[in-house]
Amino acid sequence: MSLWRYLGRRVLLLAPMLVGITLLTFLLSHAVPADPVTAYLGPQASGDPQVIAAFRHRWGLDRPLPEQYGIYLWNLARGDMGVSISTRQPVMVDLKQHLPATIELATAAMLTSLLVSIPLGMLSAVRRDTMLDQLARIGSLIGVSTPIFWLGIVAIVVFYAYLGWAPSPGRLSMEIPPPPPVTGFVVVDAVLARRLDVAADALRHLALPALVLSSYSVGVVTRMMRGSMLEVLGEEYVRTARAKGLATWAVVVRHAARNSLIPVVTVIGLSFGGLLSGAVVTETVFAWPGLGSYAFHSATALDFPAIMGVGLVVAAIYILVNLVVDIAYAFVDPRIRVG
Amino acid sequence: MARSPLALVALGLVAAWGVAAFSAPVLAPHLPLAQDIVHRLSPPSRDHWLGTDPLGRDVLSRILYGARLSIPVGAAAVVLAGGLGIALGGAAGFLGGIVDETIMRITDLMLAFPTVILAMVITAALGAGIHNAVLAIMVAWWPSYARLERGLVLAVRQREFVEAARVLGASRLRIALRHVLPATISPIVILGTLDVGHAILTFASLSFLGLGPPPQVPEWGSMIAAGRNYLNQWWIATFPGLAILSLVLAFNVVGDSLRDLLDPRLRRV
Repeated sequence: MSLWRYLGRRVLLLAPMLVGITLLTFLLSHAVPADPVTAYLGPQASGDPQVIAAFRHRWGLDRPLPEQYGIYLWNLARGDMGVSISTRQPVMVDLKQHLPATIELATAAMLTSLLVSIPLGMLSAVRRDTMLDQLARIGSLIGVSTPIFWLGIVAIVVFYAYLGWAPSPGRLSMEIPPPPPVTGFVVVDAVLARRLDVAADALRHLALPALVLSSYSVGVVTRMMRGSMLEVLGEEYVRTARAKGLATWAVVVRHAARNSLIPVVTVIGLSFGGLLSGAVVTETVFAWPGLGSYAFHSATALDFPAIMGVGLVVAAIYILVNLVVDIAYAFVDPRIRVG
Repeated sequence: MARSPLALVALGLVAAWGVAAFSAPVLAPHLPLAQDIVHRLSPPSRDHWLGTDPLGRDVLSRILYGARLSIPVGAAAVVLAGGLGIALGGAAGFLGGIVDETIMRITDLMLAFPTVILAMVITAALGAGIHNAVLAIMVAWWPSYARLERGLVLAVRQREFVEAARVLGASRLRIALRHVLPATISPIVILGTLDVGHAILTFASLSFLGLGPPPQVPEWGSMIAAGRNYLNQWWIATFPGLAILSLVLAFNVVGDSLRDLLDPRLRRV
């Protein structure tokens, strides 16, 4: 199969996946709660039969399920996800407001974890069974075993309350006005507004939550990189490269590292889901105004339309990220396209 | 496992937590709900080894009682997810065709929802509580087990002993339950052991977010949530966190060693 046909197939498969997600959120929102009316309207309004009838009619709840799904899809296609019970704004507007903060945080955490875990996994494999290897293995196990919300609290206590190194939680310091929103990413917007001081402040605020959030993926990716690297180091072509008399670093970096990155790339895509789960608790701890905080407030307020919107968006992001990873993979490794 | 001192220590730690959970009523110096308002927020002392919380409850006692909840909940979530995964993945592998296709596409979809988000959706629909938290973990995790089980069934059913059973006239159901299923169990058990720690961690996250048991119940995640606003009383949040870390870490080390032991293909890695 050619590269382009592979890509075409993957993109075509995207459509049924996205429809599937809407079906799943639909079933959860319309079939799971004993009474969606109470869930949407809250106990007070659901005492009034007229309100209930009007609500049922507006959302088509008085019609058969397949038809309801059609209405749900139609509303969704027009960007209508309903109105949030707690913020009284359309869910779509809320999501647009909160999404950039989460993408900023998740990207920073992902970059941090790649910068740490890929070299660490490589070193750990090359210096197998040394002190460094043992420390890296135990460290990555601790990374996957630490509750992120607890680590966040400990980090705030140590670096903010005691040492005073970290700024107060939030995206910017109180006295600094946020830059005019263009992209929604504060760091980017500050640079666009030529306010490097604001960008620096935003980066200082981003550092600690990103480090905390990255702890889990650092553990996962380091373990994977080490394992993959060890496997590749045992291959014939690495032995050939060594026998040719190439310097150790050349063998490790040019021959072994490149090939061992292939399975690691998939794990990075898959660990993105864990990162998004982690973002929910990290954002709650660090008062980070992203999708995770929004999801948390919606869930505790039983804000059903809002939480369904978050579920839909997060699942779509996860699928898109993994599609990008698979495509990147197909470019790197010709063997994938054959399968 | 016997050759690895780290694995032995971890196994000992898991066992110790098991004992602590079982005999918490004997070991705990105080009742987990007993409030000693006069000594609220007191630092670790001879009377309260790990200090007291904002309501004057003994942190150590609450941690010990917390193990009675976390360990069974983690195990139950994994057993339920594993059971559902084995049933559906097994059905997919055996029956093939449209059943296989349907079940596998559903697993693809479910895997797109991060656990915590899915749990929030379920909680928003059904309400917070221990049962719904376990249900959420089960709903989020069965697809991984289903995929593994399906792959194993497809591999095992090609083997000679299955062919032999078929030639001897065993029914399809008998082959499935008596011959193929038992041969697929050990990788599932390994995944399960690795996941118990992960399930305990996830349950604690859900309680931290207020999606678990009500706040008075001694549970590690909600104890940490209660200590959040007391930055100077570090002991309230620190010790339950260390409890989670030690137990989950121990489970992960044991699971890793078990995998190395039972799966020789991975041993060299």
